[in-house]
Amino acid sequence: MLSRRTLVHASLAGGMVAALAAFAAFAAWFPKPDRDEEATGWRRIGWPFPRDAFPAGRAWRRDRTEVYVRPKIGFCANCATGVVEDSEVDRVSDVDLLDPDFVPVAEGRRIRITDLLGRARLYRIRKGGRERLAQGLAVSLNCDLIVAVAVGPLDDEAVAGSVRHFLETNTVQVWLNAQLENK
Amino acid sequence: MTRQWLWIGVCLLGVSPALAQEQKIGAPPEASNMKLVGWNDLQARSAYQPTIHKQGDRYIAYIGHHGGTDDVPTPVNPLTGKPENNGTSIVDVTDPGHPKYLHHIPGAAGTYEAGGAQMVRVCDGAQLPKGDKSAVYMLRTFGGEAHEIWNVADPANPKLLARLDGLKDTHKSWWECDTGIAFLVSGAPDWRTRRMTQIYDLSDPVHPVKIRDFGLPGQQPGATGQVPTELHGPISTGPEGNRVYFGYGTNKGGIVQIVDRKKLLEGPKEPTPENLRAPELGRLLMSAWNGAHTTFPMLKMPIAEFANDKEGRTRDIVMIVDEAILNECGEPRQMIWFADVTIESRPTIISTWTVPEASGQFCERGGRFGSHSSNESMAPVFYKKVAFIAWFNAGVRAIDVRDPYHPKEIGYFIPAITDKTDKRCIKVDGKDRCKVAIQTNNVETDDRGYVYIVDRANTGMHILELEGAARQVAGLK
Repeated sequence: MLSRRTLVHASLAGGMVAALAAFAAFAAWFPKPDRDEEATGWRRIGWPFPRDAFPAGRAWRRDRTEVYVRPKIGFCANCATGVVEDSEVDRVSDVDLLDPDFVPVAEGRRIRITDLLGRARLYRIRKGGRERLAQGLAVSLNCDLIVAVAVGPLDDEAVAGSVRHFLETNTVQVWLNAQLENK
Repeated sequence: MTRQWLWIGVCLLGVSPALAQEQKIGAPPEASNMKLVGWNDLQARSAYQPTIHKQGDRYIAYIGHHGGTDDVPTPVNPLTGKPENNGTSIVDVTDPGHPKYLHHIPGAAGTYEAGGAQMVRVCDGAQLPKGDKSAVYMLRTFGGEAHEIWNVADPANPKLLARLDGLKDTHKSWWECDTGIAFLVSGAPDWRTRRMTQIYDLSDPVHPVKIRDFGLPGQQPGATGQVPTELHGPISTGPEGNRVYFGYGTNKGGIVQIVDRKKLLEGPKEPTPENLRAPELGRLLMSAWNGAHTTFPMLKMPIAEFANDKEGRTRDIVMIVDEAILNECGEPRQMIWFADVTIESRPTIISTWTVPEASGQFCERGGRFGSHSSNESMAPVFYKKVAFIAWFNAGVRAIDVRDPYHPKEIGYFIPAITDKTDKRCIKVDGKDRCKVAIQTNNVETDDRGYVYIVDRANTGMHILELEGAARQVAGLK
């Protein structure tokens, strides 16, 4: 039979371990920003979506804009032509994770992220009970895709441009290359 | 010192079973209860679908090919002496011990999945309602851009008869020879998916008649929101069975859709969500990690365990085969799933089967490991008794499916590699690391009991037969 004192100490120790674990989880949820993040103002946030067919990606926030990025290995419909149709952006860009009933606002357009080509398209979605804008982006590297979806005031070209610019920074590229090179 | 070396040797043996398992040129095939009868190199072209057709007293194999490789985009056809885009190989397999290559029909330009002519089905004009009785018709894809119909009555001199083009993709279609109805896997330009179904009446193959376009609601032109998984291929049980089993997805987000064939063919044809939903009887959603490459129906199967039950003694089963697409186990395991679809509105997975990876260290051998496709012949010799599954670097696996609640392996054959077998690479620390391994891609059987497997990595076609106890399962002498 344990003494009352031992039980109290054990409880305190258990509580401290739990608090440390919670703090570690909290810290992982808000990782320390790297130099590019500091410079661009983007802050890493947790990947908010449930497990699906692809490994979780990474997410960042700046002001009222969030961007979610991940590679989709072997998922390009046509390894030779890459992403050339809006329907392909609809299908692959993860915009359905934000709202499965997304509605395109306009035809998409051709984009380039570093040396990779693809398409981007603007959508209207409902998130958190209100209507918002999202932009789906998809570029290809042979049979692999890199997809991103941003949510925020993306009808503002400066905001849309800053998302594309951020996708080209080391913060995103180093991580993406590591994913693609060790596939 | 001697003892030290002994220990080092033991340790090396202990850590290198994977290395020992890598295939070597000149090494014999690995087999259990299956043996090699004949082989043809298929001009070292990457192979997809074989179809074996009895033409008079001959047996002819038609094999669809992917496009060429980066190293050899247009292999030379020894019969013409010219380089040709990979297309369709035609091989006389009447004597399976001595298959004779008759003709190669070039396919679309492009390498790997971008070119070639992957799919092929064959119907006799004598069986088609409005066909030329003397003709034998071959339906094939032409890259991702068209479907073609050829007269192969003289298989050494095929003649092009008709073409349906303007598509953004094609894949594994189904053709009912007794009615002429064809379920063509196509990419109609205005649809939101790369692969959906175009249904044609090909009872007179020279004059194709469009019946309707079909797909999952959300894929049709003008739809918004999430785009459902693209089609891989359908299998119809014809007017008698009145069902079409559509498989969507290759290695992800699989969907098996059970459709009333009559309603599909005769219902309203405008691709509205309501009209697309109308013929559906049931749907099985698979894990996001697995696709439905092949959906092979085995209906009215008596289940021994249920023999004394007042109801449910026979079950309608669909065997679902996923396709592995990444090399060296770079994805969740793709395997086979048996679904009980007796209650069509509530299809239920009842069992799964996979090759045990440790039985050959298959993740280390190179190339893909996992299932790809099953034989699709419903000839009585094997139907509902033995299924053959192409398993990439694990060759072909023969499965006893008489009790689909407890499928079990009864044989396998992993062909030897040759100097033509192509490499398969993965990235390690940013650099290509390549291995050479057999990549058994597809399998078909004929009504004599021969098994035809073809290789994605250019090793050709192996003709096999069951032996030993496995023959008894099929009732073969």
